[in-house]
Amino acid sequence: MIFQKTKGIHIDGRKGISKNLPLQEYFDPEFVYIHLVKPIGPIKSIVEIGEEVKIGQTIALREGFGEMNVHSSISGTVTAIKKVWHASGKMVEALEIKNDFKNTLDDSIKPNKNIASLTREELVNMMKNSGLVGLGGAGFPTYIKYLTKVKIDTVIVNAVECEPYLTCDYSFILSYPEKLLKGLSYMMRAADAQKGVVAFKNYNQKIRKVLEEFLPKYPNIKLFEVKDVYPAGWEKYIIERVTGKTYSRLPSEIGVIENNSTSAIIFSDVVEHNIPLISKPITITGEGIKNPMNFYVPVGTKVSELVEKCGGYIEGLDPKNANYIAGGPMTGRAILIDDLIVSDSLGGVIVKPTIDGNHPECLGCGKCSDVCPVYLTPTEIKKAFENKEIDLLKQLNADKCVQCGLCSYICPSHVEISDSVVRAKDLLRKGGK
Amino acid sequence: MARFANGKAPFLRISDTKEHSTSTIMRDFMIGLLPVVLFAWYKNGILVFSQGNANFWEMLYPLFFIIIGGLSSVFMEAIFFFYTSEKDSRKPKLIMKKLSTSYGLIPGIILALMLPMYTPIWVLMFGCFVGTIIGKMIFGGFGHNVFNPALLGYAAIKFGLMGVINAAGGYFNASEVLIDAYAGATPLAMLSGNSLLSFDTVVAPYGNLWDFFLGMTPGGLGETSFLIIMISFIWLTARKVIKWITPVIYVGAVFILSWIVGALNGQTEIWFPLYSIFTGGLIFGAVFMATEPVTTPKNPLGKVVFALMLAVLTILFRFVGNLPEGVGTSIIVMNIFAMPIDKYTSIIRSNKWKKPAYLQMAIIFGILIVLGVYAVLKAGNMYSLFIPIFQIGGVF
Repeated sequence: MIFQKTKGIHIDGRKGISKNLPLQEYFDPEFVYIHLVKPIGPIKSIVEIGEEVKIGQTIALREGFGEMNVHSSISGTVTAIKKVWHASGKMVEALEIKNDFKNTLDDSIKPNKNIASLTREELVNMMKNSGLVGLGGAGFPTYIKYLTKVKIDTVIVNAVECEPYLTCDYSFILSYPEKLLKGLSYMMRAADAQKGVVAFKNYNQKIRKVLEEFLPKYPNIKLFEVKDVYPAGWEKYIIERVTGKTYSRLPSEIGVIENNSTSAIIFSDVVEHNIPLISKPITITGEGIKNPMNFYVPVGTKVSELVEKCGGYIEGLDPKNANYIAGGPMTGRAILIDDLIVSDSLGGVIVKPTIDGNHPECLGCGKCSDVCPVYLTPTEIKKAFENKEIDLLKQLNADKCVQCGLCSYICPSHVEISDSVVRAKDLLRKGGK
Repeated sequence: MARFANGKAPFLRISDTKEHSTSTIMRDFMIGLLPVVLFAWYKNGILVFSQGNANFWEMLYPLFFIIIGGLSSVFMEAIFFFYTSEKDSRKPKLIMKKLSTSYGLIPGIILALMLPMYTPIWVLMFGCFVGTIIGKMIFGGFGHNVFNPALLGYAAIKFGLMGVINAAGGYFNASEVLIDAYAGATPLAMLSGNSLLSFDTVVAPYGNLWDFFLGMTPGGLGETSFLIIMISFIWLTARKVIKWITPVIYVGAVFILSWIVGALNGQTEIWFPLYSIFTGGLIFGAVFMATEPVTTPKNPLGKVVFALMLAVLTILFRFVGNLPEGVGTSIIVMNIFAMPIDKYTSIIRSNKWKKPAYLQMAIIFGILIVLGVYAVLKAGNMYSLFIPIFQIGGVF
């Protein structure tokens, strides 16, 4: 209790539904929709309606902090700017592109011949131009982590995927194990780091098996197993386990950069073939899907098309009594209309019947305080939030919440406690107004 | 396109599975009470019957007594729900639904287990009324009560109606009343009359320490057996119904403090602290009432502070205040402090023992240490040595 290290608890992963299924490639949707809003900063379109675009062509620019390029994921014609659903639960504008099924590549996509002589700046620049973002769900531009002035000695690739149900990262690694190690070695060069670590869950020994085949070529890369707990995929959890050190705000304070495994695999394509971030893996799963699958699809594909490929919803599914979840079940969001688009921050879609129950009030068991990975006391934060006691919320460190959702998960009385804590955190962020 | 239901993350909840819901926790708690109920029946019914001091119906009486305690609490809650709900929703089905998430049975059973066997039924019902209606429903029902309902009922009986109980037979069952050596009402009551603290005066009249451990001494129906309640404790912690922290620290601290008090009085042998934790319903209070989630701190650090304060208060009430049943009183007093303790220990905990919490930390531990030192010194007759210091300092 005194030496507080981040912690987690074991939860039922339910990954068996889609875990052992191969990665299905699906590269010819009729339309794709490229969002013009990303987690940070607005995005300005630089193509006209009716213009022909090629795969990998820059079609929009993200401006301000985290500026980078956004690319077309198919070849075809820009047909409209439409409002579509985003994984954040809001409707946002998107470029609609109609596929011409010719798959013409942009001129910039060609094998890179002088990989060995690329400098650190050139690699970071490639990262920026390719539009690479954190594909674990946050969608934070990757290159910003590499602009740090601090000396970096370790780059960690996060292959943990601790969210239940989701298996796309896992199947993506099994499909492209060598690309993962290559991507990591390029990332190490981009950070001028000496050590590379691939962290994965201890029960995924298959990852060890596929990586060990290529490991002798990369003497600076080590494998690291973390326990099967949630939230083991959280950046701070992994870094504390791998390095034995902790930090307060950013991993670079202790000379560490952490990236998602899918980002690493895509970065190897960026460096070797100049292919920007235009496709990504996604899991369509849950008890409400007939045949759950892992897909590898262009960014902007309609999820409804993928659900159809899965055989649709199970028979007798009543949408009114089911959740359509964008992202993982612990941190994801309920989408009201099943008209979602695959964006770069969407790791999966889960369709799951809801469970009703006659739930009593909070009985005060304190399990939420026990499981909190950052040692907060959710019951007290909820009380202070309901009484609008801003000073107390500050003292209770409500802004340190990592939104893992464990407090609601563990609650035997089904109290929406993590929702209250997240709202308290937002209240503090806005300065108590 | 289909319209789906709204919901809040996380979409996985432990409460969606039957085995982890609050109802299951409460069911497991009832199972934890079962050995105690059976022991109460054995000691006060079956054993007395086998010794020829009771007839068949008198043998079943302890069981009836406990069941009446539980049922009358539920019945009173039902009446309360009936009169407080809107006229058109006074349907049996709706009231049953409210009752199913109010868990009225438990305080009633616990209250019955604390009372002596020959408590008149109307006194038991009065206790249930005070506990469930005044202690729980008026505060807003399950999850909102400040005091432990069973304890509040017990305290009301203790301070108002003890004379009625004593007139009806006091703490002895039909067999125990025949033993001449049983002078005081309960073993601990012997203590306040005997400052000498010798084994012969406080333990020997009731047998030996083994009898205390097994619970074959006079007292409330179900609170005497250390062994049986230990079994319940193991079950409840294994099922994660209660946390081990509070009972272990509470009983452990009482053990250590009693040893110190005994040593200061020239009694260094181990029987004294053991005797101290085997009597007075300490383990019953520690396992079934100091862990009651609604009225005690919710975070682990708060539980530690709460348990230590309970131990200090128990020692204070027992050895200084001439209040032999210090356990119930300490828990009721500490129920009031559960909320502030929870608040300040939460601040300490979430700041990782760093800066902003020094003041709160100092207050909490300051109170703890001052009370503890005072209790031990006073009980150990050492207090008079320090009075001059306090007088110089102008404190008292």
